[in-house]
Amino acid sequence: MKNIVIGQYIPGKGLFYRMDPRTKIISVITLMIAIFLLGSIPQLLVAFSVCAVMMWVGNIPVKRVIRGMKPLIILLLFTFFFQIFFNKEGKLLLDEVMHVTVVSVLGIVLWTILWRLLARIGKFKTVLLLAYIMGIFVLFRFLPFGYSFTTFRFAIYEKGIEMSIFVIIRLVIIISLSTVLTLTTKPTDLTQGLESLMRPLKIIGIRSEDFALIISISLRYIPTILDEAFKIMAAQASRGADFAEGKLKDKVKQVISLLVPMFIIAFKRSEDLADAIESRNFVPGKPRTRIHELRFGWTDIGVGIFTLAALALTIVLKVIG
Amino acid sequence: MAIHFQHVSYQYPSGSYQFYQAINDISLSIPSQGEMIAIVGQTGSGKSTLAQHMNALLFPSSGCVDIFGSTIRQKRDKKISYNHLRKHVGLVFQFPEYQLFEETVQKDIMFGPMNFKISAADAAVLAQKAIVQVGLDETYLKRNPFNLSGGEKKRVSIAGILALDPDILVLDEPTSGLDPKGKSQMMELFTAIQKQTDKTIIIITHDMDLVYRYMDRVIVMHEGRLIRDESPDRLFHRKNLAELHLDYPETISVLAAIKAQFSLDIDIYQKDMDAALVELRRAVGK
Repeated sequence: MKNIVIGQYIPGKGLFYRMDPRTKIISVITLMIAIFLLGSIPQLLVAFSVCAVMMWVGNIPVKRVIRGMKPLIILLLFTFFFQIFFNKEGKLLLDEVMHVTVVSVLGIVLWTILWRLLARIGKFKTVLLLAYIMGIFVLFRFLPFGYSFTTFRFAIYEKGIEMSIFVIIRLVIIISLSTVLTLTTKPTDLTQGLESLMRPLKIIGIRSEDFALIISISLRYIPTILDEAFKIMAAQASRGADFAEGKLKDKVKQVISLLVPMFIIAFKRSEDLADAIESRNFVPGKPRTRIHELRFGWTDIGVGIFTLAALALTIVLKVIG
Repeated sequence: MAIHFQHVSYQYPSGSYQFYQAINDISLSIPSQGEMIAIVGQTGSGKSTLAQHMNALLFPSSGCVDIFGSTIRQKRDKKISYNHLRKHVGLVFQFPEYQLFEETVQKDIMFGPMNFKISAADAAVLAQKAIVQVGLDETYLKRNPFNLSGGEKKRVSIAGILALDPDILVLDEPTSGLDPKGKSQMMELFTAIQKQTDKTIIIITHDMDLVYRYMDRVIVMHEGRLIRDESPDRLFHRKNLAELHLDYPETISVLAAIKAQFSLDIDIYQKDMDAALVELRRAVGK
């Protein structure tokens, strides 16, 4: 457990790796604003293709970007269905009467059990979830048998479809932009960039160096603490408290037997670390030099110009559209 | 044989693509009675990984381990409980900080037995027995384990495993961090336990003096492989132990130096300083 990867950073070479983290952070934020200014599906599709070209130029592994979206699939689905159900503008496309009856409810219960069983296998989870949702509609629509509790109308409007596609594309672009940032920037560079960008906040009394130090120390210690947690779990398991076994009642005691040593070790470690950095003459807030200075290069200028141009273009489109 | 390793290898997952081979093709048999076994080898040679296979804390990447009739293979079988094996093979980790968590020493020692469904009253008796066994007195039972010294913590953590009354006792560097007197006390304790109960005791250590003096069998690990499994006598009769990052015991190196310096006719293979003195006196004719 020595080399746990924190965040999504993957080492590599390419346009985005050469850039200064500050440029990357600002560009991503600016481009996100630009995306939100766009108002129609064709415009978003253009933005999407620009995004794709950008990833191709920067040699970004598309697979990793798609994998980065996986945790957000629920959010995407939710927005998609939300738009379809509740947007009632434009032309009526579909209008069906749905029946909540004994048979259809029973069917849904069976369908849910089947879905959970299939999900156990562990593959195609997203496809299964989609199939499950579709299945519910089919069951409500085509099983009007038995005692009917109630009925409801299910209507899809043109604007609903349009908006749901619009929102999905916008979300996908935004997620891929931020994934490009996290894929190509080390967490430490990211914090250093943020520290540098937040430095003007000193005027209102916020010291960005402190935050940067806190973030980088926590990132640094996640693998260490995790490693320690595994050791404690092994030590307690050899006293008969195996975390993979045991009933719920035993679990409570097991968790305590893990947490108490963890806290004690973490506090001990932080005291030691404080002593170690102080004995190397670190004083919080005092200016210090760095091994890696952030420096803007030609790529930064190029990307900066591109970003500004994109923002300007979207503003123009917004004003005339 | 109580524990039987058959071509066991283990790889630690590390990073996304590479694996770190901790132990490689280990075959080994350990009886449940009557042996004092030392596992030695340089840091990172796979000693602790080997020890954690002995009570099913780690599952081999290939090969299999037989522990008291249960066969441990690559994957953890969720239907099988491995917990009971920990009662047969007690493993004490190097750092007591990883296991002490209760408010009193007594409760902490009782934690192990009570996990194996032993009643609180019986567990308290076991705790009392165990604390005396490790050379602390009963007043320690009421103390807070976090206010003890390093050596005392170590003893309490060993007592926590001894209270389980395991058939085989495995100790990962039990003497590290102890002063010289504490070291020999601890080793006397293990030999006493071994004599009384005839349990097999396995000790991971870097201390060759202890190995030579107390152990019957020594297992040498080098870069994940088991390269020697023999008596300490045979091991220390070998030349070039330094290639394996091992030392000779003090007695042997001191006597060898004296022998070379004064060209005396002495048997340099003496297990402790008293025996070495006797041999020296004999050689100089006093």
